[in-house]
Amino acid sequence: MVFDDRPNRTMTLHLLVWRQPNGQTHGKMVPYTAEGISPDMSFLEMLDVVNEGLIRKGEEPIAFDSDCREGICGSCALVVNGRAHGPDGGTTVCQLHMRRFQNGDTIAIEPWRARAFPVIKDLVVDRSAFDRIIAAGGYTSISVGGAPDANTTLIPKDTVEAAMDAAACIACGACVAQCKNASAALFTGAKISQLALLPQGAAERRRRALRMVRQMDAEGFGSCSWEGQCEAVCPKGIKITNIAKMVREYNRAATTGETS
Amino acid sequence: MATPSRTVSKSVLAPPAPPTQRRPYTSSVAPTRSYFNTSIGTKVLIGATGLLLFGYLILHLLGNLLVFLGPETFNSYSHLLIKNPLIVPVEIGLGAIFLVHIYKAVTNFIANRRARPVRYHRTAWTGRPSRKSLASSTMIFSGIIILVFVLIHLVQFKYGPEYVVAQGSSEAGVRDLYRLELEVFGNILNVVFYAFCMLVVGSHLWHGIASAFDSLGADHPRFTPLLLRVAKVVAAVIALGFMAIPFWVFFFARQGAVS
Ligand code: HEM
Ligand code: FES
Repeated sequence: MVFDDRPNRTMTLHLLVWRQPNGQTHGKMVPYTAEGISPDMSFLEMLDVVNEGLIRKGEEPIAFDSDCREGICGSCALVVNGRAHGPDGGTTVCQLHMRRFQNGDTIAIEPWRARAFPVIKDLVVDRSAFDRIIAAGGYTSISVGGAPDANTTLIPKDTVEAAMDAAACIACGACVAQCKNASAALFTGAKISQLALLPQGAAERRRRALRMVRQMDAEGFGSCSWEGQCEAVCPKGIKITNIAKMVREYNRAATTGETS
Repeated sequence: MATPSRTVSKSVLAPPAPPTQRRPYTSSVAPTRSYFNTSIGTKVLIGATGLLLFGYLILHLLGNLLVFLGPETFNSYSHLLIKNPLIVPVEIGLGAIFLVHIYKAVTNFIANRRARPVRYHRTAWTGRPSRKSLASSTMIFSGIIILVFVLIHLVQFKYGPEYVVAQGSSEAGVRDLYRLELEVFGNILNVVFYAFCMLVVGSHLWHGIASAFDSLGADHPRFTPLLLRVAKVVAAVIALGFMAIPFWVFFFARQGAVS
């Protein structure tokens, strides 16, 4: 890693970070000063620097999720100044860089906030509600053959593209975090619509829609008010048309039953 | 800064979070709700009843605009409505639709608030492509104002003073709602109150019309962007159309009727 260490290029930032020791205790916003930050650092690298300082002082470092740090895994999950994944659209917070901020800025950093995403520690939340929604029906259980068999099923280009757009979801949960209702409609809708569009998934579309929506509701997410803030913060640009598609899939299944 | 920051963050994250918080990764079957109690069925009901109320508003506006054609036309129109045997079942139906809309919208609002028990310290609007607007953020407040308005409106007009005027073939005369309008909207306070409430109705529809279609699953790559624009125009036309009446009465119609 190359650091631009010209002295006049480092930044000082005032952070307000949500600290919460565990799920049983109340949390609060705690101020920190991040010094010596290069504009070329990513947002998470900036937090790493702050944590190194905390560790040196013998304090508890700030817990936050990350894995790939290249915008594909969906692990990182921070609400930066009221916006999931930070000020830039179409990207995850690990792809946000400090040059996006001004020297001396105050930055509020909070976890995804939803009843269905309980805080584990500081900025880390438990997103297993999403796993349970997928486990309820976000798959195909029939044999659709091996990879070469995909070429034997002809699918119109537009349909494939729509399905692939929905399949781009990395399950980060930003949609829930930004929605005023903490609704998981975009996440659930993307999977229901992706699989319903493709012949391999369409066979089980009714059962899938019924079960996934049932699980989504049971997890305690809210409903959709069609503000589309989810779409605006989605790092993969998944569209709320997928939610309308979920409504149609669900209504069809609710009127005709699981298998018909 | 000798060690790569990545390694530091990994060691920072261990040990893993307390196990007490963890819930199972697989689900046993979640309880089944009846259709209208699901998140989707709830919004279908709110959307469908909202659209029906919107349809009623259009008819109500068209009827009311007849007031511009003078007392005879307006009173015979309202006479036709009042004396129609279908008016009672239609009113009951409309009331039921209204109650379902309110019940579902209020309980849905409460459930949605519960979905985020700890609020954000700082919030921001994302901007495009989000449709969030002042109108969409205040649906519950505009709704409650509409409810209060409707009650006052019914007391002032439907259950208001029963003036009678001899007119046409009707022996007993007809109810003189034209006179009642002149009276109510002769008061500037009523004019201001009605104008404000019509702005609120317009705000509710500003977000509501397009949203209702989406709640019913009606969404199309070509028509939805169009609907989003047209809905706002329609919302504005309805609000301004209703507003025109009190202003017209206050500034123009009363002069003619003083004598
Ligand atoms: C003239 C009367 C009314 C009309 C024409 C009307 C129309 C609508 C429409 C078209 C929608 C959009 C539905 C959707 O998003 O699916 C809506 C939503 C809503 N209405 Fe009404 N409404 C009226 C009265 C009320 C009243 C009296 C209340 C409550 C006290 C209310 C509360 C709401 C709320 C909270 C929503 C938003 C639901 C959400 O966030 O998802 N409305 N209304
Ligand atoms: S850490 Fe993988 S997407 Fe940000």
